Amino acid sequence: MEEKTQVSLPVGQEDKTRLDAVINIIYLTTENSRFSKVNEFLTLKATVPNENGEPEEKSWPRIYLHRAFPFDMADKYISVLDKDKKEIGLIRDIHEFDPETQKLLTEELERKYYAPVVTKIYSVKERYGFSYWVVDTSSGRMSFTLQDTYRSLLKAGKDRIFIIDMDGNRYEIPDLNKLDFKSYKKIELYL
Amino acid sequence: MRKRDRLNDLVCHYDPSLKTSDIVVAFEYDLNTDSADTRVDGVCVLIAMGEAEPEIRMYCGGELKESHPLSDCSDFAISSGVGCVMIEYKLKGEDRMLCRADNSYSKLYAAVVKRINRYKDKKVYSYDYEETLLRFCPKCGRPIRPGMTVCEHCVSKGKYLKRLWDIASPYKWYIFLSTALFFVVTLINMLPPYINRILVDDYITPKNDVLVGFLSVIGAMIGVHLLSRLITVWRNLTQISVGNKVIIRLRSMVFEKIQALSLSNINRRTSGELMNRVTGDTRQLNEFITRDLADMLQEVLILLAVGIYLFVYDWRLALMIIIPMPIVAFSYRTFWRYMRGMWHRQWVYDSKVSSVLHDIFSGIRVVKAFGMEKREVERFDRITKDLRNTQIRNEHFFAIVDPILSFIMGAGEFFLLYYVGNKILGGEMTLGEMSQFSAYVSIIYGPLRWIASFPRRIVRTLTSVVKIFDLIDDKVDVEDRADAKEITINGDISFENVSFGYDETADVLKNINLEIRQGEFIGIVGKSGVGKSTLINLVMRLYDVNEGAIKIDGTDIRDISQNSLRTQIGVVLQETFLFSGSIYDNIAYAKPDATRDEIITASKIAGAHQFIMKLPEAYSTRVGEHGYTMSGGERQRIAIARALLHDPRILILDEATASLDTETEKQIQDALQKLSKDRTTLAIAHRLSTLRNATRLIVLDKGTIAETGTHDELMRKKGIYYGLVMAQRQMSKMSNTPANKTA
Repeated sequence: MEEKTQVSLPVGQEDKTRLDAVINIIYLTTENSRFSKVNEFLTLKATVPNENGEPEEKSWPRIYLHRAFPFDMADKYISVLDKDKKEIGLIRDIHEFDPETQKLLTEELERKYYAPVVTKIYSVKERYGFSYWVVDTSSGRMSFTLQDTYRSLLKAGKDRIFIIDMDGNRYEIPDLNKLDFKSYKKIELYL
Repeated sequence: MRKRDRLNDLVCHYDPSLKTSDIVVAFEYDLNTDSADTRVDGVCVLIAMGEAEPEIRMYCGGELKESHPLSDCSDFAISSGVGCVMIEYKLKGEDRMLCRADNSYSKLYAAVVKRINRYKDKKVYSYDYEETLLRFCPKCGRPIRPGMTVCEHCVSKGKYLKRLWDIASPYKWYIFLSTALFFVVTLINMLPPYINRILVDDYITPKNDVLVGFLSVIGAMIGVHLLSRLITVWRNLTQISVGNKVIIRLRSMVFEKIQALSLSNINRRTSGELMNRVTGDTRQLNEFITRDLADMLQEVLILLAVGIYLFVYDWRLALMIIIPMPIVAFSYRTFWRYMRGMWHRQWVYDSKVSSVLHDIFSGIRVVKAFGMEKREVERFDRITKDLRNTQIRNEHFFAIVDPILSFIMGAGEFFLLYYVGNKILGGEMTLGEMSQFSAYVSIIYGPLRWIASFPRRIVRTLTSVVKIFDLIDDKVDVEDRADAKEITINGDISFENVSFGYDETADVLKNINLEIRQGEFIGIVGKSGVGKSTLINLVMRLYDVNEGAIKIDGTDIRDISQNSLRTQIGVVLQETFLFSGSIYDNIAYAKPDATRDEIITASKIAGAHQFIMKLPEAYSTRVGEHGYTMSGGERQRIAIARALLHDPRILILDEATASLDTETEKQIQDALQKLSKDRTTLAIAHRLSTLRNATRLIVLDKGTIAETGTHDELMRKKGIYYGLVMAQRQMSKMSNTPANKTA
């Protein structure tokens, strides 16, 4: 028994180093990268390994951001892509950067991800397989239509819901428990 | 469309010097472009006034925010966010954002971009993008269900019912008969309470001594019941046979229509939807015709007959029964609505259980391989527990509430009993009359419960009717012209300025010009998604080109009958589909009259004969569902044999040998090479060695022909093809380092 654990431990460690060795994730940090804004878009100057693995300073006039875990880590693990949507590197956490850069990154993310927060549900009417919703959101009163109501509600955590309407718009309910009783009753049937 | 017009007027209102005819395109944006989620009220517009330089203008809240001459702007493109969409462009070479809106605008923006680009290139805007946007009903503003062309709320349903009747009308005498039988049954059913009264009043009395009369009344009772049952059986049989005849007729109409539709018609719908049209919706109609309609007739008849009798007999009594009816109906409805919510939740849990089961069973290898059995058992336990709890709660609720409700609803009858009882005691009514009366009362309550649910059934049926006829009415995209020709193909193919896109938002192929001569072996290469398969779909005319023309031997393929075209083209597709049946059936699919010799020859060329002969049942081996499971390579060889069997003039191979090992592939390639001497072959392959026999290679990139030439020519050119070859050599070097002679 004892011998077994002794054997298996180094194997596990070996595996870990192997995975790391095969592919090297490039993290963009305050040390190696600088983000700035030209017109509406972000640009990046960063020192990252080139094809031969040697660090090299390069700049990208236009970059794109993409969340790796959009539901539960909105400001962590952000992939930074070039104009061909090839990954330049990953940002582990936006908060590692200075407030100025944080603001730039957040703005860019907010522009790409649009999901008004639902604060109140006025009515949900189901007819002919569609459901028609009227809600109050952080962007004002909205009405939208879901095609397949059950499949249009995405569970993004224990009490967090994303509603995706037939156009592909998203609406977020950050905490179901915080909805007022009447609103909750309207959505409850579909959960 | 009207909304677009309003937008033009709005812009003219912002700037009174403009006329609507100056506006090339106007489109709104509703999200701030700077960032943040603030909603704004913005309009972008492309203006072309006479000779003046066209201008892009942006208004926000009625104020002109920016304006740029179109010549400074280029590269308009759509960029999708998550839940929003943007139009970007280059202003004097710099990336800029024009506008941003939520996702409802994505189709509009795609069309707008297309229109602006077209205007910039050709100074025309004939492209009617408005029509492509008809996704909301112009009448009621509700969305039109995907796969439908009309709004099911606004369409005149009477018209459809009339057409349903047209389909049913050959059986109108049956329908008439069964309706008549309904009347008879209903009338007969009114008799037993009456006979009962005679029985009670005249015979079951202490002083009775007329045994014959007593027995004959009982006999009459038995007779009436028997007659009623017999006629019911007759009625049901007629009803069922009519319903089924109508439904089978409708079903084959729907199925025939689906077969006639082009791929783009079909792709607009999911296969689930189509299955639903053929089976679900027609079943719904069947139920309506055979059951609901019959029930409705019966219930209404009962209601009328009994109602009239009660009123004539004693209108006060009748009122006592009628007045509480709405209350009863209403409370029933409320109760069922509540119950429906409960059952629904149970149903959701129920389907969750089966989907988890399905998940685990289909992934059982993964579960076992990672040793996760225990966790899956726990997961299953958890959801079955949920299901059980809901079930228990629902059953309890039902067990408690239902009897109470029944009691309350029956309470009216107690009052009645009191009233009637008083009358009997006062000598105004006999015991028999009372029994007759209360029998009728209980009869009349039946239809009430049923009528409460009728609106829902009618709506469901009408929806199905509309959906079925919408499909039947759908215009076929790819249709034979009236004067379509039957031709014998030699094998020259030419593409003349061909542009094509699956939808209005983006062209997959742009301006393709290509001449292919008879007997050529054309290899089509390029990265995934550049339009290789689209190109061959167009040759087969699975879709019609949007612009330009494809000609075979100088004849536009739209002038050739589809049957004539396709019987002379042999296709092996990327996904090889085998129907349920024997291997023989599958090879002979496109030529059912093929001789056994032909089948074996085709199989030999395709390299299938050898493995088929290793199977105990050889060519008679069953494949497809519940049959012998074939490997990808075996399927492909069968598919190749199928394509070769009818000796096609044009052979299309879409990754036809991708699942084969290099050895087998080479054998088949060589056989095909011999075969393709006077035949035109179009082959798509990622593995470039597959195309080593090609007389010419065509390299597609971003929807256009980037390079064309022989292998050697293209290698010398050191362009895209060179890059692809080098990348693959690199790969094969990695996979077999020691023996790499070809590089």
